[in-house]
Amino acid sequence: MGKKFTFYPGCSSQGSGQHLDTSTRAVMAKLGYELEDIADWNCCGASVGELAAGHLPTAALSARNLAQAKEQGDQDVMTACAACYLNTHAVNEEIRDNEQTKNDLNEALGAAGKSYDGSLHVRHACEVLVNDVGMDAIKGAVSNSLSGLKVAGYVGCQTVRPFAGTERGGSYDEYDQPHFLDDFINATGAEAIDFENRTSCCGGSVSVMKPDQTLHLMHKILSEAQAKGADMIATPCPLCQTNVEMYQDKINKKYGTSFNIPVVFHTQLLAVAFGLDATKDAALNQNIIPADKLKAKAK
Amino acid sequence: MNAISPNPTQKYDLSFARWVRDNIDGGERMNMCMQCGVCSGSCPLSDQMDLGPRKIFQMVRAGMKEAVLKSNSFYQCVSCYNCVVRCPRQVPVKYILHGLGRLAVQEGYQPKSNVENARFADAFWWSVTTFGKTDERLVTAKYYFSGGLMNGIKLGLGNLKTALGMIKTKRMHLGAPHKAKNRGELKAILAKAVEIQARHEGEA
Ligand code: SF4
Ligand code: SF4
Repeated sequence: MGKKFTFYPGCSSQGSGQHLDTSTRAVMAKLGYELEDIADWNCCGASVGELAAGHLPTAALSARNLAQAKEQGDQDVMTACAACYLNTHAVNEEIRDNEQTKNDLNEALGAAGKSYDGSLHVRHACEVLVNDVGMDAIKGAVSNSLSGLKVAGYVGCQTVRPFAGTERGGSYDEYDQPHFLDDFINATGAEAIDFENRTSCCGGSVSVMKPDQTLHLMHKILSEAQAKGADMIATPCPLCQTNVEMYQDKINKKYGTSFNIPVVFHTQLLAVAFGLDATKDAALNQNIIPADKLKAKAK
Repeated sequence: MNAISPNPTQKYDLSFARWVRDNIDGGERMNMCMQCGVCSGSCPLSDQMDLGPRKIFQMVRAGMKEAVLKSNSFYQCVSCYNCVVRCPRQVPVKYILHGLGRLAVQEGYQPKSNVENARFADAFWWSVTTFGKTDERLVTAKYYFSGGLMNGIKLGLGNLKTALGMIKTKRMHLGAPHKAKNRGELKAILAKAVEIQARHEGEA
């Protein structure tokens, strides 16, 4: 099996989700995988592209990324961002399965002398960790146990919905009660609490635009984590991480609470558990609410 | 609140359901809806929607074009995909809602200035077509000020602490936007896609 992926970092990797990008690269390198970036990638359209421009122009964004990936080789395309995965995967399937869309998108790509036949596979970094790396190898790479930490595994929506299945058939988890994140947490030696809100919505992009309408969603997530004694929340989704972290102030004001719960990426936990550098690899300096208990464990 | 039953003051357009079926992405599966309500019941934002997906689909079938396109429901959707994975009839609920939401703005049923999501989506699309990437700072700024100068200042100040936190942790950079290199190529592809989409909309 190939140990090389074509990597699609996505826009959040250069902004609010840099610590996901840094820690993903560090963790994958430690596990022996090579990531080669799509050379001149563009935005995937996130969740609002369709509303602004309609389906085809939004799909054309992913088509250009995929056409470039194909020029770089036949290896699978991997991304760590939930929205990037969702869009890139959906467009890839559409090009493969829908003749009309395939023709339309190729006509659009043709305007720049490009084409794409739908023959690549697009994969989420979490699914790669589950199916290619495997839980045993992850446990095997842990040299710095995080025992004593209680972590709420918050999967969010788009990491497992709508595609918990993989392109090669089979699936890596269920979309309602996924356990892969708890498995990662437990593999590090930390304890995953039984988190009922694991797939509750953080409000997504509506939280960015008009948080007053979605603070109650994040309040629910934070309340359960606090009530169950979690030291921190871990999530694989860049938008969940930012929303649930940065709105704690506003939530405290509205509900009279005093939340100050660090929200980290699963890859930040893994990086520390793999004995990697707290700043260079785990990027713990990039969490607005510092995850001090995790930092204290870092080598 | 919004009754589905016939109402003498309501305008009906019986060709609307057919139009939605033929033109909205995923619309052809709307006929499969059996009105079970799983979508609206699973939606985390349904308490903020005036109608919600189940009612909307029945109203589309009843030809209640105006009432449907004036709904706020499309713009509350956060794309969590609960409805999509749970619908027992495989109706791509979220995709149909987004298609209807775009139509409502296009046809003037929703004044763009009132629809935060539409303004946000526009700011977002501007960044994507200009730079090839989402610049979170510029999208936010453009969106804030799309509701007027005072509104923008108010929103900006309200989020100052967050912005400073993001700058301090280097998650918001200062300086020129990140750009895709070959933006000419991207523009050509997008322009062509817009043209093809318009062609299809004209055909129907
Ligand atoms: S879940 Fe599906 S079948 Fe049920 S009301 Fe919603 S769209 Fe219709
Ligand atoms: S995708 Fe949108 S409509 Fe569907 S359940 Fe989520 S928020 Fe509601």
